[in-house]
Amino acid sequence: MSWDQFIYFAMGALLLWGTGAALAYSPARKIISTLFTLGGLMLFFAFIAGLWVSLERPPLRTMGETRLWYSFFLPVAGLLTYLRWNYRWILSFTTILSAVFIMVNLLNPDIHNKVLMPALQSPWFAPHVIIYMFSYAILGAVTLIAIYYLIRGKRIKEPARIMEMTDNLVYAGTACITLGMLMGAIWAKEAWGHYWSWDPKETWAAITWIGYLIYIHYRLKRSSSNKIAMVILIIAFVMLQICWYGVNYLPSAKQSIHTYSS
Amino acid sequence: MKNSSRHIWEQPWGYREGILIAAGIGLSGLILQLFLGNIHPTLFAAPLNLIIGALFMTGLLAVYLLARKRPLGRWLTSVAATLPALALFLLLSIFLGVIPQFPSGSETALPDNLFTSLGWYRMTTSWPFVLICFYLLLILGLTTLRHTTRKQEWRDIGFYLNHLGLFIALLGGVLGSADMERLTMRVQEGQVEWRGTTATGALKELPLAIQLDSFLLEEYPPKLVVIEHESGRMLPTERPESYMFEGVGKTTDLAGYTVEILEYLPHAAIFSNDSITRVVPMLMEGATAALRVRVTPEGGAAPKEGWVSNGSYLYPHSLLRIDETRSLAMPLQEVKRYTSHVTLYTEEGHTRKSLIEVNHPVMMEEWMIYQYSYDDTMGKYSDTSVFELVRDPWLKVVYTGIFMLLAGALFLFFAGPKKSRS
Repeated sequence: MSWDQFIYFAMGALLLWGTGAALAYSPARKIISTLFTLGGLMLFFAFIAGLWVSLERPPLRTMGETRLWYSFFLPVAGLLTYLRWNYRWILSFTTILSAVFIMVNLLNPDIHNKVLMPALQSPWFAPHVIIYMFSYAILGAVTLIAIYYLIRGKRIKEPARIMEMTDNLVYAGTACITLGMLMGAIWAKEAWGHYWSWDPKETWAAITWIGYLIYIHYRLKRSSSNKIAMVILIIAFVMLQICWYGVNYLPSAKQSIHTYSS
Repeated sequence: MKNSSRHIWEQPWGYREGILIAAGIGLSGLILQLFLGNIHPTLFAAPLNLIIGALFMTGLLAVYLLARKRPLGRWLTSVAATLPALALFLLLSIFLGVIPQFPSGSETALPDNLFTSLGWYRMTTSWPFVLICFYLLLILGLTTLRHTTRKQEWRDIGFYLNHLGLFIALLGGVLGSADMERLTMRVQEGQVEWRGTTATGALKELPLAIQLDSFLLEEYPPKLVVIEHESGRMLPTERPESYMFEGVGKTTDLAGYTVEILEYLPHAAIFSNDSITRVVPMLMEGATAALRVRVTPEGGAAPKEGWVSNGSYLYPHSLLRIDETRSLAMPLQEVKRYTSHVTLYTEEGHTRKSLIEVNHPVMMEEWMIYQYSYDDTMGKYSDTSVFELVRDPWLKVVYTGIFMLLAGALFLFFAGPKKSRS
C-alpha cells in the first residue's frame, strides 16, 4: 500500500461516512448510520494498516501521516458522541472536518518514506502520537459544537444539554492530552535525558493543556456564561493548532528538536 | 459577576481582585527583573532549594491554618483566584513559546532590546514567570488542603490525584531544576573514560568510568536522487523525489527518468581518474556503498549506465551524469540505529557490561547514561561514541507527581465531569 492508493480508500470512506451522516437525519434506526460509519472507518483503517506494513514503521512521523490518523479519529469521536447523546448533526460535522484533512493530504501528498530516526524508535512513539490525535479529534468535534452554539445564539433549544455534552467531551479530550503529554515527558526522559526542556513543542503542549484547564475551571462556577465558555474552547483549539503544526512557523521553531517531517 | 454593586476589594472577592492580584504579582516580578536581571540558576541549587521548598511549604501551611476560615483563605482556593493566575501563566508561556530562548549559563550575548530587559529570552528563569509559578503552586496547595475538610466521596480520588500530583510534579520540577547535572563524555573504542564535560566546557570527575568495547552504526539502504549540477538541488524542485534501494533488477521512475538497478555493492572501493571509474568490492574500513544503474530519459533518448556512490571518509562520492545539467546522485545514507557496547566500572569496584543506544539509557550510580552522538565525520566507521550523563536527584519526586497525574487523567476520562444537579 502506498499513498498512490489513498484516494480510493479516502473516497470510499467519505462516501460511507457521508451516507451514515445523512441517514442520521432520517427516521431510520440509529444502527444503520452507525454501520455505515463503522464501514467507512474499517475501510480507512485498512489503508492505515497497509501503509504501516509497507513503510515497515508506524505511519505517525510526518505531518501527512498524523493528518491521516486525525481524519480517522474524527468520525470515531463523532460516532461516540452520536451514540451517547443522539445529536443527529454531529456525524455530518465530523465527516466534513475529516474531509478537509483528507483533501489536504490529497492535494499535498506525502512522500513514501520508510526512514524512522533512532529517537523515534521507541515503544512510546505510537501511543504518544495516537492518543494525541484521538484527543485532537475529540477537541475538534467540541470546537465545531462551540461554533454551532455561538452561531445559533438564542435559537439554541437545550443549552444545558449542549453544555453537558461539551463538558463531557472536553473532560475526555483533556484527559487524553494529559496522558499524551505525560507519556511524552516519560519518553523524553528516556530519549533526550530530561522529562521537560521547554522545547517549543512542549511549551505549546502546555499552553494547550492550560487552555482546556481554564475551560474546565471556568465551568465550575455556577454563574459562568455559556458563551464565554464556548469562546474559551475556540481559543484553546487555536492554541492546539499552533502546537500541532503552527509551531513550525514560529521564530522559536529553529531550536526545536521536535521536528521530524523533512 | 453578579455582585457588581460591591466596591473593589470589598468582600467577597471575585474575578476583579483575582485579575488585580495576578497582575500585581506579574508587575512585582517585572520590577525585580528590571533591577536584578534573570534569576541565577544556582539560587535554586542545593541546599538553597531545600530551604526555599521548606519556607514555601511552611508559608503554605501557615496561610492555610491562619486564613482557611477567613474570606481571603476561601477566595485563594476559588476559581476567581485560579483563572487569572492561569491566564497570566498562559500569556507568559505564549511569549516563551514564540520567542527563541537562550540557554541560561551560556555566555552568548543577548540581543540589545526590550525583550532582554524583560527577561523574555530566558523566560523560565525570569522573575515574573517564577513568581507566577509559585503563586499557582500556592493556590494549588491551598485548594488541595481545603478539599480535605469536605465530606469525601469516591470522586475525590480524581481530585487529589490531579491536584496533588500536579503540585508535587511542579514543585519538584521547579526546585530540582538546578540540581540536575548533564555532562557529555567522548570515549574511543578500547579506551576508558571517567571525566565528563559540562555545558560550559569544564571537566568533572565521575564516580564511574565507561569503557567503550565497540561502537556499531547501522544505516538505511542507499537512496538515489536526481540533482541539478550547478545548484546541487534535488529534483523536481518543488517536491524532491528519492528512491530507496530495494533490490537488484528493480526499476523505478525518478524525476522523469526510468532508473534500473543493475548491481549493488554494499562495500566497495572506488578508483577513478579523469576518464575511467573502477568500482570493486572491498570488505574493509572506509568502503562505501555503490549502485550500478541504467538511466533512461523520457522521450527515447539514449540510456546512460554507470556507478553512483555516496563515498566515505576514504573515497569521494561519485555521480552519474545524465545530461548537460543533471546527474544521478546518492545522498548520505540515513542512520537507522547506533549502539555502544560498554563496560561500566564504579569506584567500589563493580563492573557491568551493557549496551547503550538511543532510547535505551543505562542507570549506574545515580547517573543515567545516554547514547548521545558519535564522530559523524567518520560515519559508520566512527570509533568514537559520545555519551550524555544525567543525574537528577529530584526525579523520583517529579515522577511521583507524574504518575499521580497519569492516574488522575484516566480517572477524568472515565468519570467525566460532575453531573449538575439542576
